[in-house]
Amino acid sequence: MFIFEKRTQFPVKINNKNPKLASYILSQYGGPDGELGASLRYLSQRFAQTDKRGIALLTDIGTEELGHLEMIGSIVTQLTKGEGAKSFDRYGVGDYYVDHANGVYPASAAGVPWSAATIQSKADPIADIMEDMAAEQKARATYDNILRMCDDPDVSNVIKFLRAREVVHFQRFGELLNILQSKIK
Amino acid sequence: MENNANCAQLLRNVSEACFYATDLKLYLDTHPDDIRALEMHREACRQLKACKEAFENCCYPLQSCCAGDDGEWDWLMGCWPSERLV
Repeated sequence: MFIFEKRTQFPVKINNKNPKLASYILSQYGGPDGELGASLRYLSQRFAQTDKRGIALLTDIGTEELGHLEMIGSIVTQLTKGEGAKSFDRYGVGDYYVDHANGVYPASAAGVPWSAATIQSKADPIADIMEDMAAEQKARATYDNILRMCDDPDVSNVIKFLRAREVVHFQRFGELLNILQSKIK
Repeated sequence: MENNANCAQLLRNVSEACFYATDLKLYLDTHPDDIRALEMHREACRQLKACKEAFENCCYPLQSCCAGDDGEWDWLMGCWPSERLV
């Protein structure tokens, strides 16, 4: 089960407003390689794992990704807090405002709603962990893209933290893959 | 509740301690026989517990079970994830 704790994994404290940047970062909330997909992917796949190390790792990383989802929502909220329709429009994201105003909606940067079609659950430990390693790299690459478009250090510091976590998760999944493969041999 | 600057520092201590414990936990998932990491994890969790107690004593409850001790529903207090810690 899950117990909520009233804090983010890494402090989110953003001073400036920027609805455009918020709309880019939203992709890590509900985009194809975002944190919602990551957490649901791992927390679903774990039911089919048989090795205790695999069950534990998918549960623990899936749980951490839920915390990252919360951090992304927090960044988007702080970047848009108090901004009205005119501001969204000036920043070129009036279309987002029409449908969601200052709300946080799970969609990609291009506005495509989150879809379970972006994840898999195959009940095949090797296939699942291979997918998870690719997913971590895709998330890392998305954070790299966001960093190229972000010149606000309050935001980049949080994004750099999240990017580093993807690298650690990739490493741990790689170790798990070796464990599972050596069991087959 | 103490001043915000002090609470921000105490919360940072919680974040750092929790980060250390979390990272060790993931490592132990794939290295369950590493005795040294096991000991480091135990110490990290002790540290985390102390940091959380220090924060909750001075600021506001982090978990709902720690709320309401003084006869008021102080779970509503403090900085929710969407809010910016001053």
